[in-house]
Amino acid sequence: MNAHRSVLARTVSTPALLILLLLAIALVAKLFGSGPFERTVTELFIRIVLVVGLYIFIGNSGVMSFGHVGFMCLGAYGTAWLTIPPAMKKFALTGLPDFILQHQAPIALSLVLSPLLAAVFALLIGRILMRLAGIAASIATFAMLAVINTVYSNWETVTGATSSVVGIPMKTGVWLSFGGALFAVIVGYGYGISRYGLALRSARDEAIAAAASGVDIERQRLIAFVISAFVIGVAGVLYAHFLGVVNPDAFYLNLTFISLAMLVVGGMNSLSGAVIGVVAISAMIEILRALEKGIPVGEAMLAIPNGVQEIAIGIAMIVILIFRPSGLMRNRELRWSRWPFERTSENK
Amino acid sequence: MRVEEESGSASVKMEETMKNILRLGVIAATSGLVMATGAAFADDDEIVVGMATAESGFMQAYDKPAQEAAMIRIDEINKAGGLLGKQIKVVTADTKTDRAEGAKAGLEVLDKGADLVIVSCDYDFGSPAALAAEAAGKVSFFLCAESIKAGIQGVGPHSFSASVLAAVQGATMAEWSFKKKNARSFYVLLDTWTEYNKGICDGFDWMAPKLEGAEVVGRDTFKNEDASIASQITRIKSLAKEPDAIMLCSMMPGVVSAIKQIRAAGIKSMILNGSGVDGSYWLNAVPDLSNFFVPVQGSIYGDDPNPAVEEFNKKYETVTGARPSSQYVYPGYVLIDIWAKAVERAKSTDADAVVAELEKMTDEVTLFGPRTFTNEIHHQNKGRYLISEVTAGKPKIVDEWTISEPVPLDALLKQ
Amino acid sequence: MTAILQIVFDALSLGSIYALGALGIALIFGVMRLVNFAHGDYISFCVFAMLVPSTDAMSEMFLGSLPTVVLVPVILLIGAGVSVLSEIVVFRRLRDANPATMMIASFALGFILKHFLLMLFSSRPKSINLWPDLSLPVEILGARLPLLQLIAIGITIIILVALSAFLKQTRFGLEMRAAAENFTMARMLGVKANRVILIAFAISGMLAASIGLLLAAQTGTADIQMGVSVMLVAFIATVIGGLGSLAGAVVAGYLIGAASVLMQVILPLEARPFRDAFVYAAVIACLIWRPQGLFAPKSAKQRV
Repeated sequence: MNAHRSVLARTVSTPALLILLLLAIALVAKLFGSGPFERTVTELFIRIVLVVGLYIFIGNSGVMSFGHVGFMCLGAYGTAWLTIPPAMKKFALTGLPDFILQHQAPIALSLVLSPLLAAVFALLIGRILMRLAGIAASIATFAMLAVINTVYSNWETVTGATSSVVGIPMKTGVWLSFGGALFAVIVGYGYGISRYGLALRSARDEAIAAAASGVDIERQRLIAFVISAFVIGVAGVLYAHFLGVVNPDAFYLNLTFISLAMLVVGGMNSLSGAVIGVVAISAMIEILRALEKGIPVGEAMLAIPNGVQEIAIGIAMIVILIFRPSGLMRNRELRWSRWPFERTSENK
Repeated sequence: MRVEEESGSASVKMEETMKNILRLGVIAATSGLVMATGAAFADDDEIVVGMATAESGFMQAYDKPAQEAAMIRIDEINKAGGLLGKQIKVVTADTKTDRAEGAKAGLEVLDKGADLVIVSCDYDFGSPAALAAEAAGKVSFFLCAESIKAGIQGVGPHSFSASVLAAVQGATMAEWSFKKKNARSFYVLLDTWTEYNKGICDGFDWMAPKLEGAEVVGRDTFKNEDASIASQITRIKSLAKEPDAIMLCSMMPGVVSAIKQIRAAGIKSMILNGSGVDGSYWLNAVPDLSNFFVPVQGSIYGDDPNPAVEEFNKKYETVTGARPSSQYVYPGYVLIDIWAKAVERAKSTDADAVVAELEKMTDEVTLFGPRTFTNEIHHQNKGRYLISEVTAGKPKIVDEWTISEPVPLDALLKQ
Repeated sequence: MTAILQIVFDALSLGSIYALGALGIALIFGVMRLVNFAHGDYISFCVFAMLVPSTDAMSEMFLGSLPTVVLVPVILLIGAGVSVLSEIVVFRRLRDANPATMMIASFALGFILKHFLLMLFSSRPKSINLWPDLSLPVEILGARLPLLQLIAIGITIIILVALSAFLKQTRFGLEMRAAAENFTMARMLGVKANRVILIAFAISGMLAASIGLLLAAQTGTADIQMGVSVMLVAFIATVIGGLGSLAGAVVAGYLIGAASVLMQVILPLEARPFRDAFVYAAVIACLIWRPQGLFAPKSAKQRV
């Protein structure tokens, strides 16, 4: 019996395997891919940061949050405010305080400050929201997203309202976004094996017993909320530097749906589920898009009509959920057991 | 919903690992395919025009008509001997109305050797591809974007737009209705949904103070998706006197509902709009509409003062099977027209040379109004608009107007 | 006085649409604990069913050209049909899955429907000329109200009364209420699960169809996004009203409509674009005050 191995040693294979998988994808992109493919992989990594951030809260607390994409909005605009050159900010965003308008921060600084903004906001609003549970909490988080979206879509002097904010240095490439994904996986894993993660999961599984055992459910949820907000804020920063322009409606219903779908299809309650969900669905989307463009097969062109990609992805998700209702990973983590080196009593 | 922390059976894990290797293989294969179909070098006998526009998704309905018009002009040029003696080849990539995909579409057409990158009708959806073109040092042209950002201010020094700024539409309606219809009291109703709507109202607000005797008697806002604007209408009705004109800064689809409700409430004021409501395809939703005015760059109704426009309409019908559904078809034609002229004058497709020639254009005559570009504004802040009036559900061109002074840059940038 | 009456009427007519939407969502939620995010797309589907599928700018009436007496039942049937079909094809197989899975499946279903409509009709909104005479205003005590909105309020009240009668006095209604309260127990007592669920979906689909007809007549356009905002508010209203309580969902729908209209009237011009932010903040406040909803049965109160 391996009872003396620490939790870390027993479970570290999970993030290791996930990181290796992501590294492999990054290498394939850099060595064999074209410009568009690199952008696809960069987008994949940014989505991984987003969905892992979602997992940190949703997977551990059991509360389905529809509002987390709002933190991505906060992070993206935060980095826009900080990193756009003063010449461009001055006319468009007149409501910002002077010291922001006159300076341009390096991306490294923004990668710390902007997610911090999202985390602070999460702390403030979380204190109110975390006492709710179940579907009331889900609706409240959606209302939070709607408030963020409405405010950002109309606050002309500070966010440019519905006008895209332009001029963000486009620095996110494969390696920077891989770094982001690495960060997210490590944070997600670290939180998961920490006692905060354990306490929150106990509250998820048996709320009354957990409360009776001394778990302060509201506090644990708040901790997860803030950490997840920080991670998703990082996703927002990477996204802004990827596209070069930000607009509030990029962070609303469509992104919420696709990110939640990736999480649930992969498996809501495990870190591997989050990562595999993103990789699987993104791969399917890319294959379908390639089919739409047409693949030369011998003399002919094999192509599906434009617009079928979205329908096919929807059908694929439903089919996966019908056959694997708890997601592709079935709530298990990717793990490297000692097989084939040793058969232990752990293996069934 | 318990997480199974145990490693479980080895076979499950191997299954998962195998699945992931399979997925990785698929991704690698796809990338290989994408790469294989990717880069192609332009023939020296050809000039490549890349269209990174929406062929599916939301924007397709707006990009496709203008793109067809652009293709018609390209066809005309090719039949007349080509540009600089070379035939124009068109390559396309679908942005799928997705911003990230738009950037990729831009990169794809650039990979295929495009000298000109044509992007979506809307700044938000066209900018990723335009930014890609700018980074590669190529000229990008927005099919029909009407925001000042679609150009230097939002992309870079090699970017242009083929249409006219939204602000010009608002300013035109203000000045025209004041001078030609004696409208003195105005009510501004702004749909806060998009930048385009705000642009129209900004142009109106810039022009209105210059009109001696004109008064804005009230303002209100609504959201395009509101099913009911009853409260907004109540405000209008509670004014002492019905305003002479309502400046409605809105667009499809919500604008139809707003107009319906305004008329149903018995408000008979002139309704002034931006070009976004041009088209007769929606008029049967508001039967017998009258006293309704729209600025257009050319008439799709067959009564344009320039007979060449009607010829174009007929040609468009022959090529695509239906007449143009709105005036937003026209900027596509203008785009290729002026770009080709600039290329001829620069005697090359080199981006900087072409940009220099475009910036020299002042009141350059095109089929759908004059075009002027400067080294500060790659868009139209002044334009000749035809005024279309809808009476009893039938649109008709009644007048023509060019605003007395161009909308200045600082009024435009305040958006 | 007339100003207040006008506000009341405006609130009632907006609230009626939200209330109908909330009712459709609450019915299914009550029986299956499923929030059906495809509901908004059922609404769009029913509206587009009235047009000939084409990507042209001009729209042609297909079913829409049928006389009203035939049109209304046909569209209601289409709504019921698409709803029942989605239950049989998708939701039945996810009966035992956790709520999150069912939610995502309903999202995906809505996504499929929306893009299917997009392929057939293109994203350009199509105009529909449905019952134009109903847009003419009617004066009541000095307040002006389009006839259509008066009808909408009237229809909502009729539907509510009819539905209550159905639930309280018919056997099916009794079975549905039992299933909503405790599904497992109801099954053990002989309630056929599939039948109850199918009836719930059928009624919900018909409600979606009626919202579609009202929206089409009111706005004059068919747009693939037309059901989205109604569905979001309906979802919120269901939760605020108290899960499993149909009366609560309806009341909450009217409340949100009233709040929205009130904000539009009260707020100063600069703040008016932020109207929705205030409404949603009010939603959060309501949830904090009563997380189980306004009309939740006592058993629903969270124990922890």
